[in-house]
Amino acid sequence: MTFSWRRAAAVARKEWFHIRRDPFTLALALVLPLVMILVYGYAIDFNIKDVRLAVSDSDRSQASRRLIDTFTSSDYFRVHPVDSADDAVRDVAAERARAALIIPPRFEKDLLAGREGRAQVLIDGADNATVGPVSQYVGSIQALASRRIAGSDLTPPYQLRTRFLFNPELNSRWYVIPGLTVVIMAILSIFLTSLTVAREWENGSMELLLSTPVQPIEIIAGKAAPYAALAMLAMAFVYIIARTVFGVPFAGHLWVFGLGCLLFLVAYLAQGLLISVVARQQTIAMQFSMLTGMLPSNLLSGFVFPIASMPKFFWYFTMLLPARWFMVIARRSFLEGSDLAQLAVPFAALALCGAVMTALAVRRFKRTLE
Amino acid sequence: MNGAVSISVREVCKSFRRFPALHGVSLEFEAGRMHGIIGPEGSGKTTLLRIMLGLLVPAQGRVEYFEDGRPADFEALRPSLAYMPQTQSLYPDLSIDEHLEFFRDLYSLPREIYARKREELLGVTRLAGFVDRPAGQLSGGMYKKLGLMCALLRSPRVMVLDEPTTGVDPISRRELWDLLYRLLDENVLILVTTAYLDEAERCSKVHLVELGRVVAAGEPRRLLEVEGARSFDELFMRRAAASAP
Amino acid sequence: MSAPAVETRDLVVRYGDFTAVDHISFSVAPGEVFGFLGANGAGKTTTIRVLCGLLRPSAGFVRVAGRGYEDGERAIKAKVGYMSQRFTLYNDLTVAENLDFIAGLRKLDPGYYARRRRELLELISFQKGLDARVQDLSGGTKQQVSLAAALLHDPEIVFLDEPTAGVTPAGRERFWRLIRLVAGQGKTVFVTTHYMDEAEQCGRIGLMRDGRLVALDSPAGLKKSVFPEPVFEFDPLRSLSSSELSAYAAHEAFAFFESYGPRFHAAAAGPEAWARWAPELEKVFRIRPIAPSLEDVFVRVVEGRP
Repeated sequence: MTFSWRRAAAVARKEWFHIRRDPFTLALALVLPLVMILVYGYAIDFNIKDVRLAVSDSDRSQASRRLIDTFTSSDYFRVHPVDSADDAVRDVAAERARAALIIPPRFEKDLLAGREGRAQVLIDGADNATVGPVSQYVGSIQALASRRIAGSDLTPPYQLRTRFLFNPELNSRWYVIPGLTVVIMAILSIFLTSLTVAREWENGSMELLLSTPVQPIEIIAGKAAPYAALAMLAMAFVYIIARTVFGVPFAGHLWVFGLGCLLFLVAYLAQGLLISVVARQQTIAMQFSMLTGMLPSNLLSGFVFPIASMPKFFWYFTMLLPARWFMVIARRSFLEGSDLAQLAVPFAALALCGAVMTALAVRRFKRTLE
Repeated sequence: MNGAVSISVREVCKSFRRFPALHGVSLEFEAGRMHGIIGPEGSGKTTLLRIMLGLLVPAQGRVEYFEDGRPADFEALRPSLAYMPQTQSLYPDLSIDEHLEFFRDLYSLPREIYARKREELLGVTRLAGFVDRPAGQLSGGMYKKLGLMCALLRSPRVMVLDEPTTGVDPISRRELWDLLYRLLDENVLILVTTAYLDEAERCSKVHLVELGRVVAAGEPRRLLEVEGARSFDELFMRRAAASAP
Repeated sequence: MSAPAVETRDLVVRYGDFTAVDHISFSVAPGEVFGFLGANGAGKTTTIRVLCGLLRPSAGFVRVAGRGYEDGERAIKAKVGYMSQRFTLYNDLTVAENLDFIAGLRKLDPGYYARRRRELLELISFQKGLDARVQDLSGGTKQQVSLAAALLHDPEIVFLDEPTAGVTPAGRERFWRLIRLVAGQGKTVFVTTHYMDEAEQCGRIGLMRDGRLVALDSPAGLKKSVFPEPVFEFDPLRSLSSSELSAYAAHEAFAFFESYGPRFHAAAAGPEAWARWAPELEKVFRIRPIAPSLEDVFVRVVEGRP
């Protein structure tokens, strides 16, 4: 028997009725993105400004002053000088400062002699919220500073401004919100769909459905379609809030981002369907989708923890996850303005994930009650 | 595509994890007749129906399908089988009309045929006044009638009903049976299980099933004569008494 | 005469615009087996919910075991046992766990509970072990255990909503033997059923139609009042087409003509019409006089054809 659009459309239409009449589904689809974006956008601010930096300069040379200037001019640090390295450490320990910069006596001499000039930055490791951003800033400033010091005679100082690529203000919202689109999409698509086939089993209607000419692929396509539409709607909603409320810039092409959304949806909808085909019970389907959909999209997609710093095993493992690839597409679309060619790898990976998941869902969908 | 369908079940065995359900069941179902499968619960009636519909796979034995006496392929016949499960199987949030439209599309019915069928079925079931009511708010009898309507929309050649009248009031029961009798005029093979033994007498042939075995089969009145019972109630009571420990 | 076990006057239950129970008045005596019949959706379950203390009526007077809604939230509930249509036991728990749970909900004294449980399991002659899971019991046994659960707190009145739906004839027979035993202990049994052979075993029957109580009498009394005319069984000598059948249904010889399994039951319209048509009808049917069945009563009353 060939695929019938009419039957698939009938399933989609019926599913749409269910969605319309179930306030929980609609609320989940529209309120959840709103709540998440507000929580992540307002409540959680990864931005660090005016970090108190204790500076002990035992060298007091031109090079050391330049290094200190680089920190001072960056806006992220408020420098306060201390008398010795010990004082600097004591300040950090007493939480009078978040970090300390310690410049040893022979700093300029070593540099001029062509040896590595060693200055030390100490960060309060107990404060998890700042360790990441501060070390990130320090790293960037350090690179600048070494250029500045080494080329002091060649480059006029006004060209040497601290600037970060792509996110010049290092605004964490700009970084977090594009990533949030991934998490929201993941939750919506996998939750909503994993429940639908399981609901047919619980409702007893699967037995009736299986005794009609409808084919598994038609059921799956028909069930996925309205949820895809709903998730895309939610995504448009998130996009508008991101642009207007939080002023997140969008440097890329909307159609590229949209295509990414769609591919990601297909992969996750198929995964949700696969779960509910196997689970047959809504509560079990719910737990499965938590485990295989929500957790990875939060923890292993690079949303919270950078993939680059994961252990080797997880680094490879994340390659299997659609969320990881869509994270790349979302962030680079928003911040870098990448086009399709530049995103060829994540797109290809996402398409492959989607194809495999769909094939699995269709294959596992049995026409019997066994 | 309008040949009369008959089914033979040959030595079918099936067991589930907990208990065996069917032990070598053989049955013949002829086209255009109303077949009653009668037996206490747990006797394997539902399992038997599910196997015939391809919803379960028999462990042993096979089910053969015939069209006008010639062997036919199950997959080819599948679209002309209709089934009304015993358990609730409709969507509580969808109305009567929404159910009918959903099944219209699943069966790919042309509009004119659908319009005619819908009117006819709503007339017989007297549900025309309730087309906007969600299935979840229908009474037991109305619910069953809606289930039957969904199955009958497409003019099936085999109609399988699992306890269609359980929990249904006497008047709705009559309406359900009236609907089924109309089908017989169209040469449809009807298979029905029932717990109401007075309904057994309405069938043209009854098959008594007990503990996964067929214990008797035949025309109802003849069967009663052979067993020397006045009614199926009496017959079953006697069998139950005989098998009690 | 002692106070009635159940009494209602002009009881009304409305859901929005819809009147589910429309001014019904009746009373049930202690120890009576009262059958409550009606088409699906006639308001039986709603009435039972009111009488069990689960649903406050929109209007009217209700008194169950001497208590009413004005006596507080749980006043009625404490005096009645209820076995609902849909659900009474947890399938994945054992019989003992189910009963323990209900005893816990009802805060039964442990000593009393142990004694009462033994008594009830004896009453239903429960053969399986207490550690059998409910899902492994047959439908009939499950219903009997449900009945025991409803009787655990020794209520004065027990409400059974379609207790035998889907149960085998032997199981139904056993269940009704239990009902008679329970009534024999002085308890009032209020039962709904779609099986007319069961209704036949009730002391009195109330018949509901569209939220109204349209008949109330003993089975024999109902038959007499609903069918004052002589009633006959018509056994067709040949098969009849549906147009022929509808012609007979509207025939002037009959006040009532309905199918009854493969046969028909008919009530004569009047002696003259009957005398005129009988010879012709005898060519098509084998006719014999019978007493009307309760199903005939049900069909005639509920269909509303006088």
